[in-house]
Amino acid sequence: MASLDSLSAAQIAAGVAQGDFTATEVAQAALDAIDSREKDVQAFLQVSADLALEAAKRTDARRAAGEKLGPLAGVPVAFKDNMHLVGTRTTCASKMLANYDSVFTATCVQRLLDAGATPVGKTNMDEFAFGSTTESSAFHRTNNPWDTGRVPGGSSGGSAAAVAAGEATLALGSDTGGSIRQPASFCGVVGMKPTYGAVSRYGVVAFGSSLDQVGPFGRRVEDVALAMNALTAEGADPLDSTSQNCAVDFLEHLDDPVEGLTVGVVPQLMEAKGLSQEVRDALTAAVASLASQGARVVEVELPNIASAIAAYYVIAPCEAFSNLARFDGVRYGYQEPDCQTLAEQTSLSRAHGFGEEAKRRQMLGAYLLSSGVYEKYYYPAQQVRTLITQDYARAYQKCDVILLPSAPTTAWRFGDVSDPTQMYASDMFTISNNICGNGGISVPLGLATQSHMPVSAQLQGPAFSDRRLLRFARAIERGVDQGLGLGGGAPVAPDFAGRGGDL
Amino acid sequence: MALSQDDVAQIADYARIALTPSELEQMTTYMNEAVDLLEPITHYDLDGVEPTFHPIGDLSNVMGEDVVDDSVRALPIDVALHNAGSTHDRYFRVPSILGDSEEDF
Amino acid sequence: MKKLQEVLRDWEAVIGLEVHTELTTLDTKMFCNCRLSHDDPPNTNVCPVCLGMPGALPVPNRKAIQSIVMAGLATNCQIMKHSMFYRKHYFYPDMAKNFQTTQGPVAFCMHGHLDLSVEGEGAAERPEWESTAGDGTPVERAADGSYTVPIRILRIHMEEDAAKMVHSGGTEGRITGASESFIDYNRCGTPLIELVTEPDLRTPEEARLFMEDLQQTFRTLGISDCSLESGSMRCDGNISLRRRGETRLGTKAEMKNINSFKSLHDALEYEICRQAEVLEEGGIIYQETRHWEPSHHRTVVMRVKETEDDYRLFPDPDLAPFDLTDDFINEARARIPELPHAKRDRYVRDFGLKPADARQLAGDPATAALFESAVALVKPGEKDAAKVQATVANVMVNLLPGHEGVSAEQVFSLARLLATDAITFAQAREVLEAVDGTDDDPERVVDERGMRQVSDTSALAPIVEEVLARCQDQVNQYHDGNKKVVGYLVGQCMKASKGKGNPKLFNQMLREALEA
Ligand SMILES: [Mg+2]
Ligand SMILES: [Zn+2]
Repeated sequence: MASLDSLSAAQIAAGVAQGDFTATEVAQAALDAIDSREKDVQAFLQVSADLALEAAKRTDARRAAGEKLGPLAGVPVAFKDNMHLVGTRTTCASKMLANYDSVFTATCVQRLLDAGATPVGKTNMDEFAFGSTTESSAFHRTNNPWDTGRVPGGSSGGSAAAVAAGEATLALGSDTGGSIRQPASFCGVVGMKPTYGAVSRYGVVAFGSSLDQVGPFGRRVEDVALAMNALTAEGADPLDSTSQNCAVDFLEHLDDPVEGLTVGVVPQLMEAKGLSQEVRDALTAAVASLASQGARVVEVELPNIASAIAAYYVIAPCEAFSNLARFDGVRYGYQEPDCQTLAEQTSLSRAHGFGEEAKRRQMLGAYLLSSGVYEKYYYPAQQVRTLITQDYARAYQKCDVILLPSAPTTAWRFGDVSDPTQMYASDMFTISNNICGNGGISVPLGLATQSHMPVSAQLQGPAFSDRRLLRFARAIERGVDQGLGLGGGAPVAPDFAGRGGDL
Repeated sequence: MALSQDDVAQIADYARIALTPSELEQMTTYMNEAVDLLEPITHYDLDGVEPTFHPIGDLSNVMGEDVVDDSVRALPIDVALHNAGSTHDRYFRVPSILGDSEEDF
Repeated sequence: MKKLQEVLRDWEAVIGLEVHTELTTLDTKMFCNCRLSHDDPPNTNVCPVCLGMPGALPVPNRKAIQSIVMAGLATNCQIMKHSMFYRKHYFYPDMAKNFQTTQGPVAFCMHGHLDLSVEGEGAAERPEWESTAGDGTPVERAADGSYTVPIRILRIHMEEDAAKMVHSGGTEGRITGASESFIDYNRCGTPLIELVTEPDLRTPEEARLFMEDLQQTFRTLGISDCSLESGSMRCDGNISLRRRGETRLGTKAEMKNINSFKSLHDALEYEICRQAEVLEEGGIIYQETRHWEPSHHRTVVMRVKETEDDYRLFPDPDLAPFDLTDDFINEARARIPELPHAKRDRYVRDFGLKPADARQLAGDPATAALFESAVALVKPGEKDAAKVQATVANVMVNLLPGHEGVSAEQVFSLARLLATDAITFAQAREVLEAVDGTDDDPERVVDERGMRQVSDTSALAPIVEEVLARCQDQVNQYHDGNKKVVGYLVGQCMKASKGKGNPKLFNQMLREALEA
């Protein structure tokens, strides 16, 4: 008897296609796993059992009719709750949208469904994706499957935790400043932020439009590559003006060796204040692992990266203020009852519909965009963005990818970090990549020596070189599988493995 | 120059976020801390540096065709109004825009 | 209040216009594929994009961009290859996202101008000695007072229209006193171009003419129906006064609710006179928005602007920037038909039309097309060809307005009947009524109704004789020097001939007989 815990997405799709098991059996197993594990992890805001079983039934019917099945046939997938899927609510983990029924389906969601995936539910997140721990969800917290007393990271914490706990084989998240890579690192799964424009943002509730990018979580690099294929195979989305065609077969060169390719390391980042010793040690081992596979290691400079956090916390709140202005309680969303005037209704709906961090970011953005302040912060921040982008371009003349931490520490305990501006600093390694739009991926290195929590390496690459990024990620994974570095791979978190999910 | 509570109250008024007095106080503290974090931006000499408003290389001139396509996105009336807090016939409804004030828009 | 002429002696009126035009001839909205139609039931043509639903993203309408480039080229603007869309924020539910997608400092079209030909009575509004245009060039007057003045256009930018609000519980659907309002997003997201002039206009007539020229130009381009009545073309006027000789601009007031050319003229005239009165009494002008009330013939305050609005403009990250190619611009250029100005000049040159008539015919594309088809039916060698051509214009200008269903053939036929004195002008009107909306040939109608005028002097002579014999009193008056009395006698002849005699011929024959 097989367990979903040990099957990759590719194996599930193959098993369904070959008739080893049906998509319905897979869906049922996934729902069983969710049933028995969810009370401890709380990764979901909504489990879409009906949609899952319907989709699985359709997949099985297609097979019975002799039709060719999609590459994700029967694979249980979870979606961050800022992605629309007709038949589900899309709440963004906010009271503002607590009752919002999706009126259309996001392109990224649709493409996974078109590939045959089974939608098991919508995952928890920081409210409107503002946060790094998923604690700002208006509904409940999500626990880290490796230690339920610790945060799963954020803002896509629910998606990362669902995959780490074996409740879904794949999940989608969105990454504005690290919101895929950081929770992937905290939860010990693979998480990829593709190049800006690679995946359509249509139907994903916007946070920072020039920074947001949708990407997949999986327990294996191959699964993430498979999801990337489904997300991009149809080319640019005509409904997203900023999406671009980058369709390549992400599986094609996945297992090619990295021998002769070059990994860049940024000494300044490896010595950064706040980077814990166990993360630094893990990174050193990862570099050694790549070197032992024949990759060349060089040092590169990113002189302006120290200002990335400042630039980000100018640009992101401004875009957030603008994007969230539409939530006025008129066309949808929380509406304050019994108001006598429109102004009263709008400002009370927004005051009571949004949580603290959502209000903070919007206030900051409204201030930074005001005349005079725009010239002092916003415009210069976009110029600094150019400098950071140029830094990366120069670095990539010397190397194929840059290896750096995904987060300065492993997952912390609930309550250990509460000050918002201190929290902002935890994005120090991921933010710069959103600033310049490049791709990045977080790959598990096993458990860290002190905290015994998952630790990851982050790989960053030039725009639209996401396939090469995956090839490097696979090399690290291979090294970890073979006991190089820390060893241990990326299994379902031990406390959750085996609880339901049997086929 | 630090933001005063009055400044923050004005921003809240503009952003249509009602704040209680204690929220206003906390928000003022937060805003000043957050703005301090942004200081590095003001230390650059950025003469002649082009801003990057769109991180997408040389993507430009993206346009769609002028063709009615009801099937792609159009919403039937019941779906369009479905999530609204208050409606009237086929309309979205809002309470009095001016209240008792005399000023016209 | 003083009269306009009097005020403009001491004061210079400085007027700028902001003109919003919906691109009504497109099929879809600016950033989505919803149908463009304001007549459908409320909230029929809506989608996640134009309802500002979370997660929706805009895609610019290529044809709208092409249209604004055409508008820019037609108004002598520089086409800015590099530009971006910006977001302009204000919380008001007619804009579904609480921001309007519009353009920033660089618009698609910048720094154009229209040359305004001001003729007739309207030309007298501008004092004789006010001889400089807004751009500093001299304004020369023709002997009849007419003049041509360049009006600079600052920019034309692309944006989206807002939803329609219906106010309930107040008086006459006004927002004041309304207890609730309803929103219909059918119009939300309609492609809108905003043209802003430099403050180069000096008289209400110039402003009116500018709008008329603009309407004619945009209609000819085929980018909008430009209806002031239905609001597909909307105009706000900014106006300030300064003492003659002063160079500093005074405080301006903004005029809204102008939905006809007459309103534009009258509102500006009123406002100039009002401001002059305030200033002459030592008062001050507030920067405010004023509402034109045509029924009371006055402007009233809508909103006082205490501080400049801060719209938090920034480049829209959801929309890629534009780097218009030469190909794109040339394609737009190739779609521009002959423009009203050029057409007007050609009509004057080729058909000898009066400038005012040429202006009327050239202004509306359908009228111009009908005119040209009718004129084309005149065979060059034909007897009285020039006269028939001129009569075609005469029919088009003086008879046709109000008759929608008349073909070029019918206009031509009618003109030939008139030019050959087969019917009178009054009869032509009757024939036109008869053929409007039918395929009937006016020639046949004239024959059927026995309208054809008798132009045979031998047939008319007995009637002239009879009338002269009968109207001895009038004959005596004529000989006493009252030559006008011929008119009465012509009338008597017409009556006697049952309307069929040629009045010109009667006139001629009567005079000959009386002078003999
Ligand atoms: Mg405008
Ligand atoms: Zn629409």
